[in-house]
Amino acid sequence: MDLLDNLVLGISVAFTFQNLTYALLGCMVGTLIGVLPGIGPVATIAMLLPITFHLPPTASLIMLAGIYYGAQYGGSTTSILVNLPGEASSVVTCLDGYQMARNGRAGAALSISAVGSFFAGTIGTIIIVIFAEPLTRMAQKFGPADYCSLMALGLVAAVVLASGSITKAISMVFLGLLFGLIGTDVNTGAQRFTFDIPELSDGIDFAPIAMGLFGIAEIVVNLERHLERGGAIKVGSLWPTREEIRRSIPAILRGTLLGSLLGVLPGGGPTLGAFSAYTLEKKLSKTPGQFGKGAVEGVAAPEAANNAAAQTSFIPMLTLGIPSNAVMALMVGAMIIQGIQPGPEVMTKKPDLFWGMIVSMWIGNAMLVIINLPMIGMWVKLLTVPYRYLAPAILLFCCIGAYSLQNSTFHVMQVAIFGVLGYVFVKLGCEGAPFLLGLVLGPQMEEYFRRAMLLSRGDAMVFIERPISLGLLITTALLLVLMALPSIKKAREEAFQEEG
Amino acid sequence: MNRFLTKDFLSGLMFVAFGLAALYFGQHLAVGTPVRMGPGYVPRMLSLILLALGVVVCIVALVSGSEPVERPKWKPITLVTLGIVCFALLFERAGLIPSLVVLVMISSLAGEEFKLTEVLGNIVVLSILCTVVFKVGLGMNISVVQGIW
Repeated sequence: MDLLDNLVLGISVAFTFQNLTYALLGCMVGTLIGVLPGIGPVATIAMLLPITFHLPPTASLIMLAGIYYGAQYGGSTTSILVNLPGEASSVVTCLDGYQMARNGRAGAALSISAVGSFFAGTIGTIIIVIFAEPLTRMAQKFGPADYCSLMALGLVAAVVLASGSITKAISMVFLGLLFGLIGTDVNTGAQRFTFDIPELSDGIDFAPIAMGLFGIAEIVVNLERHLERGGAIKVGSLWPTREEIRRSIPAILRGTLLGSLLGVLPGGGPTLGAFSAYTLEKKLSKTPGQFGKGAVEGVAAPEAANNAAAQTSFIPMLTLGIPSNAVMALMVGAMIIQGIQPGPEVMTKKPDLFWGMIVSMWIGNAMLVIINLPMIGMWVKLLTVPYRYLAPAILLFCCIGAYSLQNSTFHVMQVAIFGVLGYVFVKLGCEGAPFLLGLVLGPQMEEYFRRAMLLSRGDAMVFIERPISLGLLITTALLLVLMALPSIKKAREEAFQEEG
Repeated sequence: MNRFLTKDFLSGLMFVAFGLAALYFGQHLAVGTPVRMGPGYVPRMLSLILLALGVVVCIVALVSGSEPVERPKWKPITLVTLGIVCFALLFERAGLIPSLVVLVMISSLAGEEFKLTEVLGNIVVLSILCTVVFKVGLGMNISVVQGIW
């Protein structure tokens, strides 16, 4: 049985002392930063990228995955305790989680969310194990033209499902693609948009961009908003009552199922999963009036869903090399920096990395529950540190981190520049995620496009003549047309209004 | 005037500006033919698409309106950026501690409250923490104070 062999390989990689340590470290640092109010998983990962770059590839990806879970878990903690979601996927948790906290059930909300997330994470990991191989095998049949179309579909779908204004988001993708071209052209050696800056000739570095765009811009916005928080935080007993358990089990199951399904979609990811799970629970509930007043299902289902989705959103990234949201784009960027080209080859050429990472995902999830529930008191203390202390400290770590990438202050300058750009994006309501996706996929997409055109002797029809490519392009076009239909457009706008 | 100070219209303008800039700075790149694409082929294509999209965003914003842009608060963004730039300029010339002091000072001014004692306390804690973590712990090749350590 192949699957078992793979798992054994994965376990042997993940359970080494070194990798367990990095998984643990990742979870801890991720929670540490993620628990800070107003800082979501994307910002957390962006800021912590530099510390993983000096590790061996497997360890660094394991640590990054740990940071991701930690950040997400930390985000739920802040949502429940102080009603300050770090990002869209924990907005829903605030609705009932914070109310539970006000009813003195914060401890129960936290432990249900932790156990629900762990269960969902386990199922999500199993799904990855089952689908990774068939998907990879399928992807190996893809030619350059198919890949180009697949990326187009991935980009469009991510944009369509995850952002407010479609035209703006697509423009952001193109802007990202353009930024991705900065550097030396691989085929001809020509310098493109490098302005004679030697640091740019190797291509624009992706980590400082992510740090500036998400980290710095987020800090500045938080400073503007003047984050306030209410009074002392009481966690109370971590044990849920029998009634709470009875009500949350089915909610966790449904949340996991929904989250796993939606997570695979490009642009799906945790946010969509969490929102849909909440809506579903509210519809199924016999007492929908309780939602928003501290219904335990309103915490259990979205928390399970966002974690399941966080897991399954690794599937398109690991098997096809297509990131479906900003977090996965960061992962792709990290892999490229480690010299691994994400895509179907990863599984065949680096099985130890691939399966080791998958197994350590599960370990990471388990660690979160085991470590974080007993440590909740410490995170709560951290929450009471005023932002005026935290902001300079975070900025400082970003700067040192950026410097450490290549021991160059040029990267620190880049962080400053992209911080300003990120701020402009926020002010203009332009989303950073599509930009990042474009930036990460840009160079590959150009490569595939040029190769496809070369093979077809300059005939663009190749994108329509190959059945796989044609199918992907038709799907892309359908998505765009669907979104332009008035009824769907309206429903979509309403959904996003609820979110904001 | 307010018709133009909307989020969408200004975003459109931004896309147009980036498109034009990319065309201008990419004009020396050879475009080549579809079979043998030069280094300029894809950039040219992308810039033109971005330009067109920017125009569309602008027109849509003018015709159907959009949210007005919130007035930006200049203090946080200016001071944070200034702090990072100072850090970048000082780091290799003066060392970790001086650049840290400058960054924390400037960025603390960006917040609403500024109490000198608190900021000084923060600086002391961060100086010790960074020295221990980055210099001693991770053994990074940086000087704590240039010329001394």
